[in-house]
Amino acid sequence: MATTALTPAATTYRSSLYEWVTTTDHKKIGILYLVNSFVFFFIGGILALGVRSQLAVPENKLIPPELYNQLFTLHASLMLFLFIIPILAGFANYVVPLQIGAPDMAFPRINALSFWMLPLAGIIMLAGFLTPNGAAAEGWTSYSPLAQRAYSGTGTDLWVVAVTLIGTSSILGSINFLVTIFKMRAPGMTMFRLPILVWTALVTSVLVLMATPVLTSALIMLFIDRNYGGHFFDPATGGNAVLWQNIFWFYSHPAVYIMILIAMGIVSEVLPVFSRKPLFGYKAFVFATAGIGALGFSVWAHHMFTTGTVYLPFFSFMTFLIAVPTGVKMFNWIATLFRGQLRFSTPLLFALGFLTMFLIGGINGAFSAAVPVDFALHDTYWVVAHLHYVLFGGSVFGVMAGVYYWFPKMTGRMLNETLGKIHFVLMFIGFNVTFFPMHILGLEGMPRRIAMYASSSGWGGLNLLATVGSIVIAASMLPFLWNVLVSLRSGEVAGDDPWEGNTLEWATSSPPPPYNFDHLPEIRSERPVFDARHGRTSSHGTRA
Amino acid sequence: MPFMRSKPTRPATLVASLAVGLGATLAVAGCASQFPELYPPTAATSQGADVRTLYDIVFILAVIIFVAVEGAIIFAVWRYRRKPTDTDLPPQTHGNNLVEIIWTIIPTVIVLYLFIVSWQTLNTVEAKSDHPGVRVAAVAKRFSWSFLYLANDGKTPLFTTTAAGDGVFGTMVVPAGEAIDVKLVSPDVIHAFYVPKFLFKRDVVPGRTNEFDFTVDPGDVGQTFRGQCAELCGSGHGGMTFEVKAVSRPDFDKWLQEQIAAAKASPPPSGPPASGPPASGPPASGAPPPSGAPPPSGAPGSPAAAAEVDLAAQNIAFDKSTIEAPAGVPFVIKFTNNDAATQHNVEIKNPDGSVAFKGDLVTGVASATYNVPPLKSGSYPFQCTVHPTMTGTLTVK
Repeated sequence: MATTALTPAATTYRSSLYEWVTTTDHKKIGILYLVNSFVFFFIGGILALGVRSQLAVPENKLIPPELYNQLFTLHASLMLFLFIIPILAGFANYVVPLQIGAPDMAFPRINALSFWMLPLAGIIMLAGFLTPNGAAAEGWTSYSPLAQRAYSGTGTDLWVVAVTLIGTSSILGSINFLVTIFKMRAPGMTMFRLPILVWTALVTSVLVLMATPVLTSALIMLFIDRNYGGHFFDPATGGNAVLWQNIFWFYSHPAVYIMILIAMGIVSEVLPVFSRKPLFGYKAFVFATAGIGALGFSVWAHHMFTTGTVYLPFFSFMTFLIAVPTGVKMFNWIATLFRGQLRFSTPLLFALGFLTMFLIGGINGAFSAAVPVDFALHDTYWVVAHLHYVLFGGSVFGVMAGVYYWFPKMTGRMLNETLGKIHFVLMFIGFNVTFFPMHILGLEGMPRRIAMYASSSGWGGLNLLATVGSIVIAASMLPFLWNVLVSLRSGEVAGDDPWEGNTLEWATSSPPPPYNFDHLPEIRSERPVFDARHGRTSSHGTRA
Repeated sequence: MPFMRSKPTRPATLVASLAVGLGATLAVAGCASQFPELYPPTAATSQGADVRTLYDIVFILAVIIFVAVEGAIIFAVWRYRRKPTDTDLPPQTHGNNLVEIIWTIIPTVIVLYLFIVSWQTLNTVEAKSDHPGVRVAAVAKRFSWSFLYLANDGKTPLFTTTAAGDGVFGTMVVPAGEAIDVKLVSPDVIHAFYVPKFLFKRDVVPGRTNEFDFTVDPGDVGQTFRGQCAELCGSGHGGMTFEVKAVSRPDFDKWLQEQIAAAKASPPPSGPPASGPPASGPPASGAPPPSGAPPPSGAPGSPAAAAEVDLAAQNIAFDKSTIEAPAGVPFVIKFTNNDAATQHNVEIKNPDGSVAFKGDLVTGVASATYNVPPLKSGSYPFQCTVHPTMTGTLTVK
């Protein structure tokens, strides 16, 4: 299969700033999503370092509580709404049209609009720091009555507007992905030959489309309460405080699957390539992903077990049940490794990090599904440990696997393997040193969202350890950034298919031409490039 | 090309791995008891002890699953790393339906078991005694706790502990070995009542009254248990602590009588007293309830011996659906709001829908006196403007 023939000038062509700002090309927009998301990852990370600095020692007077509450609120809001959700959308944006053999997304200009709403929203949210009472400070969950005007300032209004903008961006993107996946697949690309990454983008888009409008409605109601004399969530004037929680979590639980499914798709791309065998149980994966998506709508009130307003056995049952399809995926990934020939390049290291860390996050979540245990662990550092094991140990490690895997395709250059391994080792160690002690802190009774704790509590040692770990995580970003900057200029030239990949993006040049493909190989399975490489297409006479 | 095997007897390796794995699991579970921080604290209540048992069951299963699955990953990473002799592709196994079924059914059985044992424990934790030894209302407001002790009817207030100042915990004293009934009330934002050694927390939600029981182990008499708010409530959230002190029943009775006597000796709060029993919880600390001022609209002060009508609000409803008043003279509605931390009022409408009288909002538990101007004979609907489902009819004749 021939390398796509481009003009000699193509590999050295650098797009102008004007082209980047006005592009509707899904590949450039995907890269814009990635870069923008990493900017907010770093800002969110600095806010986290602020949180960890304050908690490093007991009775610390470094950061006053009013500011501390803004730091953790914006840390979570930036990480969830401006980093993890958009970066996975960005990967999907870059990879999905290529993997289905399409020339672009269905709606390229709406694609651009979806992106540009994000930096705007981020600026609006951060502008809260410039207001007299500071940025939003009620936690990313923004419970009422605390989020009502009586207890909060303009920063909260800015937060509401920003999140509404981000939700709109997501909804537009989800429609774009669904139409693209259903209507623009190349001939031979049937639904059950779609790469798993495309399936995860599909299910994620369904979740976004169904759940995000619910959040938008909650945000509008909160805005009306705060600014137009509404009483939706204010009990003192006839409203219901728990109503906010129900509407919020009805979105925010499916949202956590929005925050991980595409990362699982990335892992499902990387493991087969670096094991040199197909993903084990492709159809089981598809059904498990769809099952997780559907079940994800039935568990929201497990965030509200302690409110006294929930029918506990139902939500406990559904929460336990969702462990089953998740386990099926874990076992299928491990079975992919079994009897393979593993090449420990950086993408595989991060994918293995995902498997080992996401397992812990899934197990510690099961404790909270047991309602009486949740009564003890809810709103403590146990939950902080859980959410970071699934979101950081899970999603972020998946994102890093994707970066190292597709950087060659996006830029035409390989990232340096040694720097990649240093990045992985530092991040893995720093992550565990930061977040494992939080299980213990939660068991010992340390609640979340407290700016300060007494020296008599005995929590000082583990908090200091967690702070040290956070500094190691920050340090791990340095080899990563250095790697990206140096490799862009002088990394090894990648060629079309540096990893011996399976899927269609490896059937074109690195980077691809604007129209993606000069020539598509025959599509007869979920691994068309693998098939073509090993003579399994009908033009070679052997049926796979 | 035949697949090249580097290890001869695979069954033996598998058996050996399983044995090592099982041994490691048991060793870890055994060693874990040497690290008490991996477990919640030893529970001080009977409910907490049941929660701890449930935690232990989940923990053992978690360790087994963790060791087995992480072990499988580590094994695969070591055993199946690519070797220079691996020139051909490995077997391109696409899947196996039988193992898919097995590893779907086994986890389903495990989670069903966990669900059932946790539901059983839940029933124990949620159970409420018919005859609690003490009834208390825990009042959470930004940023301190106070405890209102109630008589056995669950309504009559006895006294309130002083709300905590800086560095001084609000303290709830209880007799050990008896069921303590706690109602949770907040006049401002959501808080949470959390005592780590009870392995328990419950939200304090304004607008509703959560209620639970706990029984301190008789063996823990004399102990003091630290508690703190566990739901973000503002800048003072981290300092919103309290204590629960378990004493013997005789000591508790003595302490209770001392507190009641001390409360009676202090000057009564200004403003109208809380008339009638509080129904679903009391107001915060000993602060005087807001008084319902005479209504702005309508007549000047009532003449001597004005007719009085009693009306109360309880559980978001009026206690009477019909009231009567004389025509042509001003009259007084003595209004009692029995819903803690909830606002009610009385608004009387003319038959044509216009407002005849609108009383000021009263935040429960409190009373107010509404001076209503003279009305002509007729039937006047009245309602609460905060809760329009609260309605009734005033007959004036």
